[in-house]
Amino acid sequence: MKNLKISALLAGWMLAALPTAHAAGDAVRGAKAFDEECAECHSLKEGKNKKGPSLNAILGRKSASIADFNYSDAMRAYNQAWTAQAIDAYIKAPKKAVPGGKMKYEGLADDGARQDIIAFLSSQH
Amino acid sequence: MFGTSTPRAMHRFRMALVTLGLLASALPAHAVPSFARQTGQDCVACHVGGFGPQLTPYGIKFKLGGYTDSDGKAGHIPLSAMLVQSYTQTSKDQSADPAKGFSKNDNLSLQEISMFVAGRFSDNIGAFVQVTHAEPDRKTTLDNADLRIVKNMQIADKDTVLGISINNNPTVQDAFNTVPAWRFPYMSSELAVGSAASPLIDGALAQQVIGVSAYGFYDNHWYAELGGYNSLSKRILDDINIAPGDKIKGTSPYWRLAYFEDQRKQAYSFGIFGMDAHLLPGWTPGQTDKYRDIGIDGSYQFLGTREHVFALNGSYINERRNLDASFGAGDAEKRHGSINRLDVSGSYHFDKTYGATLALFDIRGSRDNGLYNSGEQDVGSVKASPNTRGYTVQGDWTPFGKEDSWGNGWANLRLGLQYTGYTKFNGAKNNYDGFGRNASDNNTLFAFAWFAI
Repeated sequence: MKNLKISALLAGWMLAALPTAHAAGDAVRGAKAFDEECAECHSLKEGKNKKGPSLNAILGRKSASIADFNYSDAMRAYNQAWTAQAIDAYIKAPKKAVPGGKMKYEGLADDGARQDIIAFLSSQH
Repeated sequence: MFGTSTPRAMHRFRMALVTLGLLASALPAHAVPSFARQTGQDCVACHVGGFGPQLTPYGIKFKLGGYTDSDGKAGHIPLSAMLVQSYTQTSKDQSADPAKGFSKNDNLSLQEISMFVAGRFSDNIGAFVQVTHAEPDRKTTLDNADLRIVKNMQIADKDTVLGISINNNPTVQDAFNTVPAWRFPYMSSELAVGSAASPLIDGALAQQVIGVSAYGFYDNHWYAELGGYNSLSKRILDDINIAPGDKIKGTSPYWRLAYFEDQRKQAYSFGIFGMDAHLLPGWTPGQTDKYRDIGIDGSYQFLGTREHVFALNGSYINERRNLDASFGAGDAEKRHGSINRLDVSGSYHFDKTYGATLALFDIRGSRDNGLYNSGEQDVGSVKASPNTRGYTVQGDWTPFGKEDSWGNGWANLRLGLQYTGYTKFNGAKNNYDGFGRNASDNNTLFAFAWFAI
């Protein structure tokens, strides 16, 4: 029993750490959710920044790493890789995940929609 | 006494028409690529259909934020320009040329060329100022102007914007496409016949006044504003090429309260607004004409993935008037009266490119021989009534303004075809002016090419 718990914890940790941890989401639904929630401010094209930075190849990218984008001090200090888990936490409650960040988005409460978006983003590179 | 117009009454009547013309010229705005360059956003982020001034929820918040939001980079120059070429055809020729150099019908016009100072000057100061040269008027005027000072803060852990707007047209500072300054149609003919009257807040004071209002936008939901307007001096009006209308005595209070909900896939708003004004007709000291305008408005937008966008906008304005001055001078038949205006529009845009809009308007007011029965062809009302109703339908194409568009952030274009039909005009369906002109004779086909850089 103890070994099973350790294995589950290990698997969970590995899943969270992987950039492509999107098994729960549906990329097709995610494309629609992305257009509804994100596309106004984020492009999927490499090098195309709008109000927000390009989200091309965002899974696994280090935070605040696009050289010519003007990040907030809070985002620069965040200093993490955008794992599925980190993206999920950020778009669920941006102000909680990155206090002082400048993204004007109140958050997406729907767990499934967030997973769908992450699945879609993982295909954009 | 009131069967035929006195010269003064005719002057007032003409002033109303001039005012309507100015309103038409004041309507198009906020299609300025300098905002796109400043924010890094595409035109479609702020504008339904990718062209101003119909605002998305993002655009509403940008405006209430004082035009200051940016991509954080330096070097943005807050300048834009606009050009409108148009063609106007009415069902029947007008009795006289609508403006110097134009014909009684079928007029091609370089309707306006505008320059804008539009953008941020600091984190807390932004502006939208338009200078327009209109071919029909043959003059360059200070058009809409809105200078804002804002402060973003947290109140009770909620995002809050506190701001001050200094502007020259009641409702031009508003962020919703329901109020007079910004409702559909966003571009219309300046060479067609205009109806007799509308509430004062519906453009009669545009560009002739200066107003200061304080506003708050709390929790991205609640909008409240309180301000006041004064007439600009005749010297300043002369300098900016605006013909003086009536002078505001004292300060005219203006107020606004609205609720806004942005759910990203859809959005809605509802609110109330109003203004009181005591006017000195012809700037003559003495008694005043008193107006109290109160409006209600509401809007709904289905945005979805932005491929199919539906929008509904509506407003109803009630005006009660007490014309002590005009009644005393013999320019109004009755001391008391009212006028109401209903506007409803619905639009659909496909792929942020192709748009169709249908709007209905209905103006109803008290009869008054002094105010409306001017005895003039085309614009007079033999029934002494301002009652006018009809519809406007428009189809438009906006090829640019999207992420993949040519010239994105630098240039945009809208081509539109618009038709306005009248089922009643100045009180009657047939022979409304006493010279045999019918309401449908004023039906107007209007085509336009609207460029912005």
